[in-house]
Amino acid sequence: MKNNGLVSGLVLLTIGLVCGILLSVVNYFTAPKIKEVEDAIKYAALEEFYTLADYDISEVSGEGDFGTIFIFKEKGTETIDAIVYTVRAQGYSDSTKVEMLIAVNSDLTVQDYKVVSQQETTGFGADIVDNDFNVSVIDDLSGFDSVSGVTKTSNAIKTCFTLVGERIASDLGGGLNE
Amino acid sequence: MNNKDNFFKGIIKENPLFVSLLGMCPSLAVTTSFENALGMTMGVFFVLVLSNLLISLIMNNKKLAEMVKPVRIPVYIVVIATLVTIVEMVMHAFTPALYFSLGVFIPLIVVNCIILGRAEAFASDNKPVASLIDGAGMALGYGLAIMSISIFREFLGKGTLTIWGDLQLNLKFIFDFLKIEPIAMFVQPVGAFLTFGLILAAITAIANNHKNKLAKEVKNNG
Repeated sequence: MKNNGLVSGLVLLTIGLVCGILLSVVNYFTAPKIKEVEDAIKYAALEEFYTLADYDISEVSGEGDFGTIFIFKEKGTETIDAIVYTVRAQGYSDSTKVEMLIAVNSDLTVQDYKVVSQQETTGFGADIVDNDFNVSVIDDLSGFDSVSGVTKTSNAIKTCFTLVGERIASDLGGGLNE
Repeated sequence: MNNKDNFFKGIIKENPLFVSLLGMCPSLAVTTSFENALGMTMGVFFVLVLSNLLISLIMNNKKLAEMVKPVRIPVYIVVIATLVTIVEMVMHAFTPALYFSLGVFIPLIVVNCIILGRAEAFASDNKPVASLIDGAGMALGYGLAIMSISIFREFLGKGTLTIWGDLQLNLKFIFDFLKIEPIAMFVQPVGAFLTFGLILAAITAIANNHKNKLAKEVKNNG
């Protein structure tokens, strides 16, 4: 009787392990495809920001809340014309963060931005991601337009801009290790 | 109960959405388009059929069932969550548009009361084949319910019917003929409740009518 709890616990642990192995197998097959899908979305967004043929583009892996950072250099030179950040922040959904691409020119003006991944509520948070949040210069968010009723998603988007604003000067000054 | 009755009970007599009123939250949220409803149906079908089968297999093994019984709810959740995660990964990889459109409601299938309800109320006490058929019937009943809501909502709200991807029927000519615009309210949350209520009222009226007819027949024959 005393060992029943332990046996049940072990059975639960075993079932959990089997499920974990099954998930890792599925992940092995789907992860490359998911990466492809996400890259396609990102490059489609980059195309909307700049004419890609005009630049030499290099990629750097970001740390923490930053994903891939795309560095746009004038063709044939080492001058950074713009940096596009993949940046994440917590929105309403607990499982997935809001992920944005934010394109900043060398004069700190914001070229454009786009939410590339989110799992916010359909009809609420998910519908505001295409909004104009009124950010034209990365180090000045005083005019940021939050959407009332969708505070958490708005805050996540504002956090993304803030994170980029905090590092852009250093990155333009050569802080990125390519 | 034979297999046919077991299958069809989930579609009509014990329809999880229109009769038991289970799993309403995601149903109302994702029925803005037929494509979303179809995607949700496929996800729920996969999870419900397999979770019923696996849980029945576990609980039909006497020795295993004895050990699992004290922790059966966590076991159900682990099995269901695994299946939902598989659905989520496969959708993300192969149908990204649908994945982004359904959003948070894919992982929320884990807490859909229909799935946990069938595991506890049916699969744990029945044979694997019967549980599989029950799961298929219930998932199909749920799917038909949300697809019917989505047809009304998308047609009335947008004047279209999105079957899958770019395959879309443009039915705006009906609105043009009637010289009115699509009623955007129907793709908003309020439209979900209104459509659901109207369909439920119609089903209740038909069911009551059927019951009255049967009662009259019994009275006349008796």
